Amino acid sequence: MPKKETKGGKYRGRIGALLITPAFITQFIFGWFPIGVAFIVAFQKFYLFKNVYVGFDNFLYFLQNNPMTIITFRNTLYYTGLSLALTFLVPILVAIFLMEMRKGVIRAMMILWFIPVASMAGIIIWKWFYDVQYGLFNGILKSLSLPTLRWLDDPRIAMLCMVLPGLIMYGPGLIYIASLQGIPDELYEAAELEGAGFWRKIWSITLPRLRPIIAMWLILSIIIWFQVFDFPYIMTGGGPVYATRSVVIYMYDLAFGSFHYGKGTALSIMLFLVIMVLVVIQRKYFKENIDV
Amino acid sequence: MPLIAKVGRTHFKTKSLIVIAALFLWIGVFLHLFPVWWMFTTSLKSTREVFEFPPTLWPRSPSLKAYGLFFSVFASSLKGEAAAGKISLVYPVYIYFKNSFIITGVTMLIQIPMVAIAAYSISKLITAKWNRILFLFFIGTMMIPMQISFIPNYLILRHFPFPTKIPRLPISHKPFPTYNFLNSYWAVILPSMYSAFSFILFKGFFDTIPDELINAARLDGASELGILRRIVLPLSKPILAVVAYFTFNSSWNNFIWPLIVLKERKVWPLSLILYHFQQQLFAQPPTEMDPETEKLIRAGISFSGLMAISIIQSIPVFIMFIIFREYLMTGIKLRGFK
Repeated sequence: MPKKETKGGKYRGRIGALLITPAFITQFIFGWFPIGVAFIVAFQKFYLFKNVYVGFDNFLYFLQNNPMTIITFRNTLYYTGLSLALTFLVPILVAIFLMEMRKGVIRAMMILWFIPVASMAGIIIWKWFYDVQYGLFNGILKSLSLPTLRWLDDPRIAMLCMVLPGLIMYGPGLIYIASLQGIPDELYEAAELEGAGFWRKIWSITLPRLRPIIAMWLILSIIIWFQVFDFPYIMTGGGPVYATRSVVIYMYDLAFGSFHYGKGTALSIMLFLVIMVLVVIQRKYFKENIDV
Repeated sequence: MPLIAKVGRTHFKTKSLIVIAALFLWIGVFLHLFPVWWMFTTSLKSTREVFEFPPTLWPRSPSLKAYGLFFSVFASSLKGEAAAGKISLVYPVYIYFKNSFIITGVTMLIQIPMVAIAAYSISKLITAKWNRILFLFFIGTMMIPMQISFIPNYLILRHFPFPTKIPRLPISHKPFPTYNFLNSYWAVILPSMYSAFSFILFKGFFDTIPDELINAARLDGASELGILRRIVLPLSKPILAVVAYFTFNSSWNNFIWPLIVLKERKVWPLSLILYHFQQQLFAQPPTEMDPETEKLIRAGISFSGLMAISIIQSIPVFIMFIIFREYLMTGIKLRGFK
């Protein structure tokens, strides 16, 4: 029902306009304006004192015979896929299992689990665990007289090693717990009466009920994973042999390593387009609606 | 609501299922706590003990020497040799801690009230046709990856407010005066002042406050700002806690943006110096290590120093968690995410 513009409403609107002003200005200058600028810079080449429009040259640089484009996008996609497999499904399971425990146990576990570690500290300690010479993992392998692995130095498993800490370091399931508690008990009771078992209840009640939040987090996670920078940059610096070089690392090197601002921006726009395509696909095939 | 039926809990099959679930969870808890433990004990060990295998669970002679880095670049016991040259930290760690603290503190002080009143306004005050457009204006950037604005934001901050071409003044033909924010706290604070994520959390919460409550206050003659202060603010404690926690974490842990805009050591936050320090320690091959770091290692604080700084970086995160624990664990129930 559209509200009628009353005198009070108008007055309220004015106060409202006043209250949004600071946020509006900030969001405009540092939120939308740079995005607009990106679409200008991407078509420019920077020289010392001036910038020249170069048409689609910056984009063509990546599209024509540039193996690094393929490598970095493939790595990023691989990272996203691995994260999806590991750090997305396990927390759901954790949250479901957690609900089975007694109240006191839930509390204790959540407190212990969410004891947070600053992200840089967490990444560094894992880097050390993986260290070929002095790392904990190779130490254990050695003492069991098993062949040691090269972990982050091995292009084949480097990416897997990188995803694993994310699963363990970040308290999983926090988001799902809230939704789990929101599921009405009657649903489970009804299912019980019909003889549904544990897994059956998860499959038919819990997961469909979690669907909205899963869909929302899936979108946000894909956006975040595709921008991965910290983990590979700190742990491997993009190596070995580019095996963990992500698109954003490539962009960072181009723009802030060799000052190709135009090329860097063009690459970020391409990444943006890829993400958008994925989000659109995801929205189309993964309905947020519960009763589908 | 547990999924396993209460009546059947004594059956062997369901019982074993619960045991497996508990085991799974406790292993997870252990895996999570182990690195924290490792970090803490290592920070107390001597260099020789750090590289021992099997690792000692508790240092034989725990020493706080590594934490001396907080106050001075030279831990108290290594005056002689190491004092001769600078070490790779350059400044004592408290300088970096202070930088992190200022950046995070100012970001929180600006962001939380600013976003809260904007979200309240969109939720309760602006009901006209603008509402929908403004809402999209405020959250739209969340769906666009932020790396797209990295380079433009860098260029904007370099000669604020012009990203690329600086116009000339009409008469004197001198370039328009610009301001260079790079290498200052503001270079990090300005772009992170507004957060669409916080906005969504706030808006989701304010939407749950019934209109009747506010209308009743209006009928009683309360002013709009009075309502905001006396009715809405006391109600929003849980959401303020949640937003404060998220804002703190994202700002404290921010790495890529300070890496881009801060080149001078004296304004580096902890995350940057930690990154730099570990790059030195993990240098492959070790010959590439800079002589200062080598000195530090010989003086006995290599990985223990790194772990000490890691602990120092983690402590505020932990304190924030303790402060907001109750709100985080119960308050998440707020329908903020929808």
